[in-house]
Amino acid sequence: MIKFHPSEQHLFHYVTGDLTPAMLMMVGTHVDMCPHCQNEIQHIEESLAQKVFGQAQVPAELTEQVSFFDGESMLASIMSQTPKRITPVMRQDVPNELVLEGKRFQLPGTLARNQHRVGEWQKILGQMWRAPVHVGGEDVLTFIYMDKDTRVPEHTHKGREATLVVNGVFNDERSEYRDGDFIFVDDSVIHTPETRHEDCLTLSALDAPMHFTSGLSRLLNPFSSLFFK
Amino acid sequence: MQTVTTPKLERKHMSSAQPDDPDHAAALLALVANEQSRQAFSELFHYFAPRLKAYATRQFGNEQTAMDLVQETMTNVWNKAHLFKPDRGSASTWIFTIARNIRFDFLRKNKHRQHDLSADELWPVLAETNDSLDDDYALDDDLLMQQLAGYCESLPKAQRTVIELIYVEGKSQQEVADALGIPLGTVKSRTRLALQKLRELINSDD
Repeated sequence: MIKFHPSEQHLFHYVTGDLTPAMLMMVGTHVDMCPHCQNEIQHIEESLAQKVFGQAQVPAELTEQVSFFDGESMLASIMSQTPKRITPVMRQDVPNELVLEGKRFQLPGTLARNQHRVGEWQKILGQMWRAPVHVGGEDVLTFIYMDKDTRVPEHTHKGREATLVVNGVFNDERSEYRDGDFIFVDDSVIHTPETRHEDCLTLSALDAPMHFTSGLSRLLNPFSSLFFK
Repeated sequence: MQTVTTPKLERKHMSSAQPDDPDHAAALLALVANEQSRQAFSELFHYFAPRLKAYATRQFGNEQTAMDLVQETMTNVWNKAHLFKPDRGSASTWIFTIARNIRFDFLRKNKHRQHDLSADELWPVLAETNDSLDDDYALDDDLLMQQLAGYCESLPKAQRTVIELIYVEGKSQQEVADALGIPLGTVKSRTRLALQKLRELINSDD
């Protein structure tokens, strides 16, 4: 059961396409995994469609323009085309598995369709691996894989971080997070994510590098942008 | 045409119903999908295109780009009407999501940045996938398959034939259309109706 969801605003801007590329991927992947948010998305789509198409009359200020809409030539040119039917592509042709350290992960649709964007996996701290997901835009989308019994040094963020559990479990001081949980934190939050008996594959969007706050791991700060960016 | 006194009946009447009636819009799309009906498409066009233009003009503030969005959206409606799935939402919602995708790609088109996402990678509204492999219908449980075989017996013969060819013999919808000598759209609608019926039967057993 998914406990943590994107905000209503995230969902709304996902539907309109007005989030950063990394956040579109994050929210889209959550929606793939979450029937509750799939429902929400459908409602948002319906109400936006109602707003765009529902009015009985096109607004007067637009129709008053002399050439507001003369669509007859467009209509004719569209209908002069013969609809092309392409043989359906079998879903199975789309690779939707990620193989990592000998483990196989099923990827939700949004990630499966964008698997070609996943870069090289690199080992970082201890039993943690990361791979960039190249989606363009300013913020950074990263796959992070933590083996069981792994702890990320305590840190804050200079910007905001969204994390989505793709597979597995992790904990921080506040809660336990499982498949599909979507967590959004800003720079006021200090946390120490860790895995216990299970490993965990997450997707993370960061709009600024992490800032490590405790003990020796502060030494990591100069390098944190290398690790996470 | 105001002679019919029952409003409900009047709305069902072809000559008085507007494409803002969801059932009527869905029926028009089905006519476009199955018969390439020019009349049905014209009716959809005359309703949706001006509204799309009003939307796109607000979005882009540029008349030419707005008209490009209208043209590309309505071209997809003409060519891809067979991808509209009435059980997943209304016709106007489907057309809205097509326009949303085109707007998304328009906003990135001229930037030529490396790695930019494309709309169909985020929202596969117009993906040509095989219906039989859609998540909702992906059934791999043996027990369920046996139950399903029982349920199939209660389908109308025309629907059962299509279902058997696709799910038992593994034919594509196009192959089924060719084998039976019926239009692809008919195969699709029979498949859809049959799956709907099967889903009802499964749910009613729960």
